[in-house]
Amino acid sequence: MVLKWWLSASALLSSMTIVVVLGFLLQSSWPLIQQQGAAFIVGTEWYPFESLYGMLPALIGTLWSVTLALLIALPCGVAAAILCAELLPQRVRSTVRFAMELMAGVPSVVYGLLGIWLLLPLLESQLNLLTGRTLLAAGLLLALMILPTIMVLSEDAIRAVRQSQREAVKCLGIGWDATLWRVLLPQAWPGIRVAALLATGRAMGETVAVMLVVGSIDRIPEPFYNFLQPAQTLTSRIGREMAEASVASLHWAALLFCGLMLAMIAAAISLLTHRKAAAV
Amino acid sequence: MVADLTAADFLQASQQSPEKPSSNIEAAALQVESLGLQLDGKVILHGVSFSLPTSGVTSVIGPSGAGKSSLLRCLNGLLTQWSGTISVAGASTRQWHGGWDQLRRHVGLIAQKPVVFNASIRANVCFGIHGWRQRRRADELVEKSLQQAALWDEVKDRLDAPAVTLSVGQQQRLCIARAVAIKPGILLLDEPTASLDPRSKQLIEQSMQQLAKETPLLCVTHDLEQAQRLEGSTIFMCDGRVIEQGESKQLFTQPQCIETREFLRWSVCDCN
Amino acid sequence: MNAQRLLYRDTISKSIVWLLAVPALLIPAIVLCYIFWQAAPVLDWGFIVGTADGAGFGITDGIFAQLLGSLLLAVMACVIAAPFALGTALFYRTYASPRQQRLLTAMFNMLQGIPPIVFGLCGLVVLVNLFAWGISLISGAVVLALVVLPLLVLNTLATLERIPLDYTEAGMALGLGSGTIIWRLWLPRSWLNLLTGLLLAMARALSETAPIMFTATVFSGVVWPDSLFSPVTTLQTHIFYLAQEGNDPQVISIAWGSAAVLVLLVASLGLLARLLHKLGEH
Repeated sequence: MVLKWWLSASALLSSMTIVVVLGFLLQSSWPLIQQQGAAFIVGTEWYPFESLYGMLPALIGTLWSVTLALLIALPCGVAAAILCAELLPQRVRSTVRFAMELMAGVPSVVYGLLGIWLLLPLLESQLNLLTGRTLLAAGLLLALMILPTIMVLSEDAIRAVRQSQREAVKCLGIGWDATLWRVLLPQAWPGIRVAALLATGRAMGETVAVMLVVGSIDRIPEPFYNFLQPAQTLTSRIGREMAEASVASLHWAALLFCGLMLAMIAAAISLLTHRKAAAV
Repeated sequence: MVADLTAADFLQASQQSPEKPSSNIEAAALQVESLGLQLDGKVILHGVSFSLPTSGVTSVIGPSGAGKSSLLRCLNGLLTQWSGTISVAGASTRQWHGGWDQLRRHVGLIAQKPVVFNASIRANVCFGIHGWRQRRRADELVEKSLQQAALWDEVKDRLDAPAVTLSVGQQQRLCIARAVAIKPGILLLDEPTASLDPRSKQLIEQSMQQLAKETPLLCVTHDLEQAQRLEGSTIFMCDGRVIEQGESKQLFTQPQCIETREFLRWSVCDCN
Repeated sequence: MNAQRLLYRDTISKSIVWLLAVPALLIPAIVLCYIFWQAAPVLDWGFIVGTADGAGFGITDGIFAQLLGSLLLAVMACVIAAPFALGTALFYRTYASPRQQRLLTAMFNMLQGIPPIVFGLCGLVVLVNLFAWGISLISGAVVLALVVLPLLVLNTLATLERIPLDYTEAGMALGLGSGTIIWRLWLPRSWLNLLTGLLLAMARALSETAPIMFTATVFSGVVWPDSLFSPVTTLQTHIFYLAQEGNDPQVISIAWGSAAVLVLLVASLGLLARLLHKLGEH
């Protein structure tokens, strides 16, 4: 009886956490919604002192940094996975894979340190920028962070393609590139997609590293594709301003709303990942 | 139905025979000389030698572990660590123009278990054709290949259905169609009917006999009756050696070697 | 189709793969080397066991207090999360209906996807302010426990799933109750793998910064927290603060040193987990 009680209670409690988390975030950011309606979500101005809480700059910043990171990390990561799974000899492969698994575990704050003292000076000197704190820096750093995840998961997916399939293609003699494009990648694609979605979630929710390099200026890049400008992401805004906001003020509520948005986007991504994974 | 087919075949064959010189005079389609193979330090093949005529079925029989499958994989270059010489149409396969990939296009292999790609039936048949434009315009070829594999009537209305929806027997015939579509000079079959129902077996054998008129077929089989039905010639292999080779009728009725006799009677062999 | 062109195409696609993959493999390696190269000047035994006395604000002395705080938080997080994770996973395997199983899987996949900082925010609202626990060890530990909970649950589930069905059925055939099956069959068989999961969760807890930034840590001045309700210092936040500390090269090299220690710590936990996992397979 005790056993059953323990099991059920822990299952109930731990599955309730997500509801509790979302509930408290909503409850705490409610004052803002009550006061300003929902229009602030697409507002372009964020000036806490004038009670302007436009979410759009941070949303666009998040979108941009994640997109940049994926654009860099996805091709490179998948290529590394292909190299590892198909072209390298067995011994090298396991070493590389092990190193990548270790890299995937490197704490994000270490990446932040790297960003601030290695990447920013590099960007400033190479691109001749006034400040290296740009969307590009955030994108590059995030790319470096999600690369190991993408590579490890994609390699799993590619190696899961059955050997008999590889041989069947070989028997048709259509060459390695056709094998890659027409058999390996299409079959591994569900796995690669899951890897990409997981990496997207991680990149979006990354806080410390991003807030050290993104510049934290609440402005939509001008023009909107200019990723050489400082910007703000949802996470960096929370990280920067949470300590300054006084408890239960509107500013506080707005920051909690940022968190709520993050959580909801993340939940949507994970639902997408999960459904795709189940469909395979 | 079966009678019809054979009658037509007979007609066709008799029409063709005056033009085609007999296979003994022409150069062999495949010539294997003292082929040796080691895998992981274990000797699989000890100096296998034989040749294939330019058409007709050649069956390879022998107990499990005789190296029959490995032999096929050497012939089309899936295994490349062998010694000796293999020449196809007079050219050594090691110096094949365009490398192993091109050789494999010339020497098709059908695996024991069908391997279909995750695509439509049509796309599977066209899989070996280069260039997506050519694949688009390959309708005639698809029909011809599927007919040669005795599958056309069953799938002609659903060429765009996923190939995995076919039964295993149909999948195996699809694999044959896929191999035939790139017009191989030689077709190797590794126990193509081992795990199939009798009906599929029959259809595949018919298809093989039809194909054999133009292309030499080398068919590894466990099924002695099948080897007899396929006519042509038969090679008996045991322990990585060719023990006996001859016309099927003769080999099955009057085997020359004692090992062959043993094997035909008991399906076992004491060679190893 | 001419063979020459095919060979060219093969070569071209192979070189594209190499071209994209080599930076992807090399840059992380270079980065790792860079960290240790930067950390080398300060990295010695005194650096690890030295304690800041408060006056130096953690800048001049060692990082013992920070190391201790990090480990304490990680261990406490795992201790809090483990019973719930184990209970949930066992519930999934024993009592849950298929519908509940689907729901639970979806829940934990979603929970795993939620950014850690969201848990940090929630901890700030609920634990620090509502429960008035303040910025404290216990707040941080609970928040980190939430972060590692989905990881632990999914890992435990995967471990339990690897127990063959006939193994369980053999137990059931003897008329054993589910409690006996769990204690006498499942746990002895899979405890090594469960431990692996726990180590991985600890590594994860050690590498999170955002959730504890405003729930558990202060910059300096604490060596050993007096109670559950007093704040700690951690390696992660230490690096974070030092990284922004301006241009004093001494400070930055301490940050690099702390980063190297943290990476080593996480990596060794990962290695240990891997070893245990291999041991568990035999």
